[in-house]
Amino acid sequence: MMELPSAMTARDHPAMDTNTRGQYGDFIFGMIARLAGWFILLVMAGIGIVLISGGWRAFSTFGPGFITSTAWNPISDHFGAATSIFGTLVTTGIALVFAVPFAFGVAFWLVEMAPPALARFIETAVQLLAAVPSIIFGMWGFFIVVPFMAHDIEPTLTHYLGHVPGIGVLFRGAPYGTGLLSGGLILAIMITPFICSVMTDVFVSIPAVLKESAFGLGATRWEVMRQVVLPWSRQAVMGGIMLGTGRALGETMAVTFVIGNSNRLGWSLFAPGNTIASLIALEFPESSAGSLKLSALLALGAILMIISFITLACSRIFLQRGTAK
Amino acid sequence: MNNITMDRTTGADSTVPALAIRNLDFWYGSNHALKGVSLDFPTRQVTGMIGPSGCGKSTLLRILNRMYDLYPGQRATGEVMFDGCNILAPGLDVNVLRSRIGMVFQKPTPFPMSIYDNIAFGVRLHERLSRTDMDQRVESVLRRVALWNEVKDRLNASAAALSGGQQQRLCIARTIATRPEVILLDEPTSALDPISTARIEELLDELKQEFSIAIVTHNLQQAARCADRVAFFYMGTLVEVDTADKMFTAPQAKRTQDYITGRFG
Amino acid sequence: MMSAPQSHPADGSGWRRGGVQATRRRLVERLVSLLCNMATVVVLFALFSILWTLVTRGAAGLSLPTFMHSTAAPGAGGGLANAIIGSCEQTGLAALIGTPIGMFAGIYLSEFSQDGRIVTLVRFVSDMLLSVPSILVGLFIYLIIVEPAGHFSGMAGTLALAVLFIPIVVRTTEDMLRLVPRAMREAAYALGAPGWRVILSVCLRSARGGIMTGILLALARISGETAPLLFTSLGNLNWSTNLNAPMASLPVTIYQYAGSAYDDWVQMAWTGALLITVAVLATNIFARWWLTRNGTAQQ
Repeated sequence: MMELPSAMTARDHPAMDTNTRGQYGDFIFGMIARLAGWFILLVMAGIGIVLISGGWRAFSTFGPGFITSTAWNPISDHFGAATSIFGTLVTTGIALVFAVPFAFGVAFWLVEMAPPALARFIETAVQLLAAVPSIIFGMWGFFIVVPFMAHDIEPTLTHYLGHVPGIGVLFRGAPYGTGLLSGGLILAIMITPFICSVMTDVFVSIPAVLKESAFGLGATRWEVMRQVVLPWSRQAVMGGIMLGTGRALGETMAVTFVIGNSNRLGWSLFAPGNTIASLIALEFPESSAGSLKLSALLALGAILMIISFITLACSRIFLQRGTAK
Repeated sequence: MNNITMDRTTGADSTVPALAIRNLDFWYGSNHALKGVSLDFPTRQVTGMIGPSGCGKSTLLRILNRMYDLYPGQRATGEVMFDGCNILAPGLDVNVLRSRIGMVFQKPTPFPMSIYDNIAFGVRLHERLSRTDMDQRVESVLRRVALWNEVKDRLNASAAALSGGQQQRLCIARTIATRPEVILLDEPTSALDPISTARIEELLDELKQEFSIAIVTHNLQQAARCADRVAFFYMGTLVEVDTADKMFTAPQAKRTQDYITGRFG
Repeated sequence: MMSAPQSHPADGSGWRRGGVQATRRRLVERLVSLLCNMATVVVLFALFSILWTLVTRGAAGLSLPTFMHSTAAPGAGGGLANAIIGSCEQTGLAALIGTPIGMFAGIYLSEFSQDGRIVTLVRFVSDMLLSVPSILVGLFIYLIIVEPAGHFSGMAGTLALAVLFIPIVVRTTEDMLRLVPRAMREAAYALGAPGWRVILSVCLRSARGGIMTGILLALARISGETAPLLFTSLGNLNWSTNLNAPMASLPVTIYQYAGSAYDDWVQMAWTGALLITVAVLATNIFARWWLTRNGTAQQ
């Protein structure tokens, strides 16, 4: 055993009663961290203020009618938000109709049915799908999905569903390929991986005893999923769906390629339309600074921001309740 | 500190205690966790603290280096005298205090860096040493905890690769490298196997030549083996404190007797 | 009252319990599992269709001139060099600006909970920023930088990307710091380290694997962003690294070329799309591999 150097026993300690060392460091460090946090508040507030003040002219010119008006006429300077809000909601709705069952199916398969080695591989593949830049979805949609829709899907749908009373009107019209249905489908493919990964996380996190006791009673996998796992994880699953909804609402590039860019409002899902984001992307370069059109676009941006915040707030509430258990 | 050095050879009772607690009360929010505790920690002795879970013994340990400062809502009143200062005083520099009163935790806590840097981390906070002095310091503390021969060829390897017992000895080495006067140990062997435990206990015996030691333990045999004096806590109060011999053979209080003979706890 | 134990005939008929109901349950189970398998196949098919399309249509343009020459008029045999360098410059700079801000904000969220409500607010707002449609960020930067300056610029594009980058880093930093065991923090404090040393030398070090992964994923995410660049850096047909002038980028070039009527431009768009997708997916795979290797809180 080696003795400690003698210096180790007799050491001059700095005075303890003055609070100096480390204090400046902590103060400066704390200020930097706070500034960074406040910077985020500043940016978000900036986005809100800039959009609302920029859109104020449109709001005050058209009043509340801005939201219900379907006009979009740069020549007579008449603008309304209804068509693009409608397009945004319809494409998002179509996206959810397809994405939720598919995401659920994949998540259920990954958690309960897949062989473990394969599950890891497929899970990575699904996450990679989520990472593909949105413009790639747009291009792929424009060059692959749109012709397919125009030549095969849409004529077939018209043939079989076009004469059904009630919903038939949704499936009539010229099969352009570009339009609300194509936009919704591309969005569905984009948001499926997001919803799926939230669902997978939630399904994995359910306590094993809950599932095992149901299996112990002889329940099948589907019965366990429907009667134990889903009720237990309902809130968190809703949160995941809202998260996907938020993405679909604001997605720009994927939709812009396939939406068809038209400002007419109609019942047909095949008809070209516009979403708020695609309208901004397409019309903004052609609107001059200070014009009423620019203001109308900014007002649309403000509306989009508000819609997506409501969605986000809902998703946070659901996710928090879902994980609080 | 000179008087302490001079008193080194005299009996325990006449020494100036390393730490002297007077009328200490402690609250977690509104929960009154320690009530009117007064206790001395004699210099260069091992003071063991025993008692059932939640009795306040770990809480007491965490007051002695002001660890409770990290958490809002926790507060202490009373007096803890150390080197002429009340360490509960608001203006006190806790960083210096913590370099003088070191702490070893229940589970080994190696930092995510090399073995060498784990030890140098604490030293660099308080001293500027040349490379050779630092090398010497690292070697001496590693020898001291009997880890040197096991790790001397891989000082730059990650500390996470060591076994649990080795990690705990590294943590002790890291603590004594900052040259504290008091070492606090919070159930230091509860996460270790019996052989590693025995080695840590041997080490404690060795370290008390130089440091005043306070150890919290659930293991009564460990307290009997290692401690010179033992304090028994129950529901936030100090029930009894005495030499280990007396405590385990002829406890004064009924509760102590019940606890030691295994009637509750 | 106890009934007499029921006697079971040991003829194997017990396996046929449940009758019609059991058959129905088995059928439903089969059906659901079939549907799930189909869903998985369809989703995978979409991914492979995208990759297949990119490779078959984009590979033709993968030649040296594509990387050597700047974009040019249709038929003039241009390349993508200026777009590639512009993308690298803008995303790289955005990451350089965004990383420290995002990391410090993440530290603020995880370590300064004594600030109470304002920490909760910053966390909520950071999540909002994470999900704000990226085109709105483009509008914002246009209005506060491009319009006052009177011209589009690479710097504006960089800042727009940084705004998207920051909240991702905030989220990862906070999540990873929360995984650092409390005992490790306390051990560092117990040595007398001041708070900032504990956070920088011990906590961040312990969390660095996860944070690195987050930064890489964020980089991959912003390198494919198109919408925020449309109104900020706009695009530039010529070679330019000047941050004070319009700057080309791969996504915007793809957007402009894909919608054009010229075959060689469309070809370039596919090649650009292939390049950016390969880069993004490779970064993703690398980041995930890195996380499994270095991602635990201990090391």
